[in-house]
Amino acid sequence: MIIVNYIASIMLVVLGLYAVCTQKNLIKVVLGLSIIDYGVNLLIVSFGFSEGGTAPIYSMADLLNGVASHHFVDPVPQALTLTSIVIGACVDAMALSLVVMIYRKYHSVNADDVRRLQG
Amino acid sequence: MININYLPVLSVMLCFLAAFFIEIFGSKIAGIRRFITLVATTAVLIMTGLMFKPIMLDGGIVAYWMGNWEPVNGYAIGIGYEVDALGFAFTVLVALTCWLSSVYALGYMNRDHHMAHYDTLFLMLEGSVLGLTMTGDIFNMFVMIEIMTFASVALTAFRAKQEGALEAAFKYLVIGSIGSSLNLLGIAMLYGECHTLNMAQLSALLYGGLTPTTAFAFGAILAGFAVKAYIVPFHTPAADAYAVAPASISMVFAGMVNKAGVYGLIRMVWIVFRAMDIKTIQILLVVFGTVTMFIGVTMALAQHEFKRLLAFHSISQIGYVVTAIGLGSALGLTGGIFHAVNHTLFKGLLFLCAGAVFYATGTTNLDKLGGLSKKMPKTTFCFLIGAAAISGLPPFNGFASKWIIYQAAYEKAVESNNFLFAIVTVAGLIVSVMTLASFIKVTQAVFFGQLHEEHKDVKEAPVSMRIPMYIMSALCLCGGLFYNVVNKFFLHPAVSTTVNVEAYINRMMGDGYAAQYGVTNIAVEPAQFSFWNPLVWLALFAVVFCAAAIVILTGKRTRGKVLTPVNADPKYATFFSGEQEEFSQVGGSDLFWGFKKNWAGYYRVMTGLHSGNVNDYATYTVIAVAIIVLCMFIFMR
Repeated sequence: MIIVNYIASIMLVVLGLYAVCTQKNLIKVVLGLSIIDYGVNLLIVSFGFSEGGTAPIYSMADLLNGVASHHFVDPVPQALTLTSIVIGACVDAMALSLVVMIYRKYHSVNADDVRRLQG
Repeated sequence: MININYLPVLSVMLCFLAAFFIEIFGSKIAGIRRFITLVATTAVLIMTGLMFKPIMLDGGIVAYWMGNWEPVNGYAIGIGYEVDALGFAFTVLVALTCWLSSVYALGYMNRDHHMAHYDTLFLMLEGSVLGLTMTGDIFNMFVMIEIMTFASVALTAFRAKQEGALEAAFKYLVIGSIGSSLNLLGIAMLYGECHTLNMAQLSALLYGGLTPTTAFAFGAILAGFAVKAYIVPFHTPAADAYAVAPASISMVFAGMVNKAGVYGLIRMVWIVFRAMDIKTIQILLVVFGTVTMFIGVTMALAQHEFKRLLAFHSISQIGYVVTAIGLGSALGLTGGIFHAVNHTLFKGLLFLCAGAVFYATGTTNLDKLGGLSKKMPKTTFCFLIGAAAISGLPPFNGFASKWIIYQAAYEKAVESNNFLFAIVTVAGLIVSVMTLASFIKVTQAVFFGQLHEEHKDVKEAPVSMRIPMYIMSALCLCGGLFYNVVNKFFLHPAVSTTVNVEAYINRMMGDGYAAQYGVTNIAVEPAQFSFWNPLVWLALFAVVFCAAAIVILTGKRTRGKVLTPVNADPKYATFFSGEQEEFSQVGGSDLFWGFKKNWAGYYRVMTGLHSGNVNDYATYTVIAVAIIVLCMFIFMR
């Protein structure tokens, strides 16, 4: 529970959305998308955090005693974040490759030039 | 006999494995590639068929815990697959659509290169949507949505040389990613509040009211699935993508990719959040749905490109589905699911016909087509069936489902004494009339009238392309004729599991789990279709009369006018059209010239909004998401 993380993650999401909505350069639009992703990832990791928690692994001593002498951070959000990071990387790769192909065809990466489908 | 509980996971895995094997073995030899694809899609169809009896007839729920990680102390930790009748109804759509599309692609895609990649992506798309409809884990659902978006984007850009394919794919990716990120945001909030990702457990924990956190999560997830269902104003990439993708893929997009969004909406509002008794949610969905159907159909009237026109109709029909879901009654839900099923059939059929026309002539521009009915009679026949079904003409399936939706909206208006729902009923009827008008235009512009010089040697589409069209035509007719059978064995089980979530929760979490949180069942009667209620017919005729009067009064009155040189040719005078084009069959694709002329202001605004600029589209998305989330907070209590 770290309030600054929540504020930062929401700010990242908003910044990303701002970039997607206002930046004309398609590569900047792609960067905006990944910033949204990072914001959400930060939020998920923060949900799993607990003050003074350790890695979610039992030591041999814990198992022999039958009780945990310490508490863990929640491991599920970390697994979710890893998945989400991988997916985010795929989004970036795919979007950037599309931008490259658009540049070859339209000779521009300006959003105002890439609008042959309209109406 | 194979354990029925393994089938969901097997079918999803089969698709991904087949995709993998095609890339290894099928890239050189077309025969192996086609064999693997057909075997995979057919096997999925058979597995889905095996699940029909236990789920739909016996009312059971198929469930499977990955790695046998069953819940401990009432907390679900593992990933569970759970197929109830609602999920199964959409699974059938996916399996059927993919099988028909893979058969169609045998003929349709035989002139394209790099087909191994096509089949790989196609099977990944099928596997992801199957996983989405069958999973019981909300994060697994998100992963499946992402795979679905990737595969769809890549398939949109598959014919990269086609005009606009790349930019459509890029816009699709941008808007789709924003939607996925919203979903993930909502899922993260839900996990932070409930510490579980299993939808059955979430449904029990969230029962009995939303906290501010879950309300925000609900708004984000609702918006995320609305993006995937392409309701207005998220529809802009759909119109582009459906138009430029190969027809076999457009059919899959309209048939199951946006159904995945619809399925997510139903699953979230009816089962996980159980929010359909909240008035705000009802009004939100109904307003978005009605706006979607109206804007979709009016934009379709202005199109000159065959598949783009069909894309806007697809958006418009999804508006009906969302409206019906939002009515919040069991009858409305019946109509919504029925219309979703029917939309898959008739819209898929229409896209396949458009693909056949493209295959034969090499163009889908309505201004360059005409008179194909002589050369392609079988395609024309199938197209007419699809057009009649989408316009809601009896005895096709579109009539039955639209009728249920009107009936549900009308009953809702009487019951809640809210004028809004009466307007929605009327809007639905008017949109249906405009759909019919639009399809008269397409039929006239493509299949009737004079044949163009360069198309005088076109041939009918090959058999492998016609078989899926015949099957879909037959299903369109059967759905309309035997609506009672469809209702009894397909819609009623789906609606009743959607409304009664107790079984869904207990199947996953153990008996008695739902009762701990006070979840109770509501007995649902099968929907009664009153097709012959005279009062309702009277209302219908009044509305049709008003619509006709409006059209006649806003049209150009030419009677008694002196013929000017422009309209001296009586051919043009008949149809209120002032256009003189070479080969124009009364204005060719511009049959409703007068209508568009009178609505010039509206169309100027609308075409301005569909500017093609990805920043604008993202802005609409953000504004709509903000509206949805704000509604959650301002009007929730």
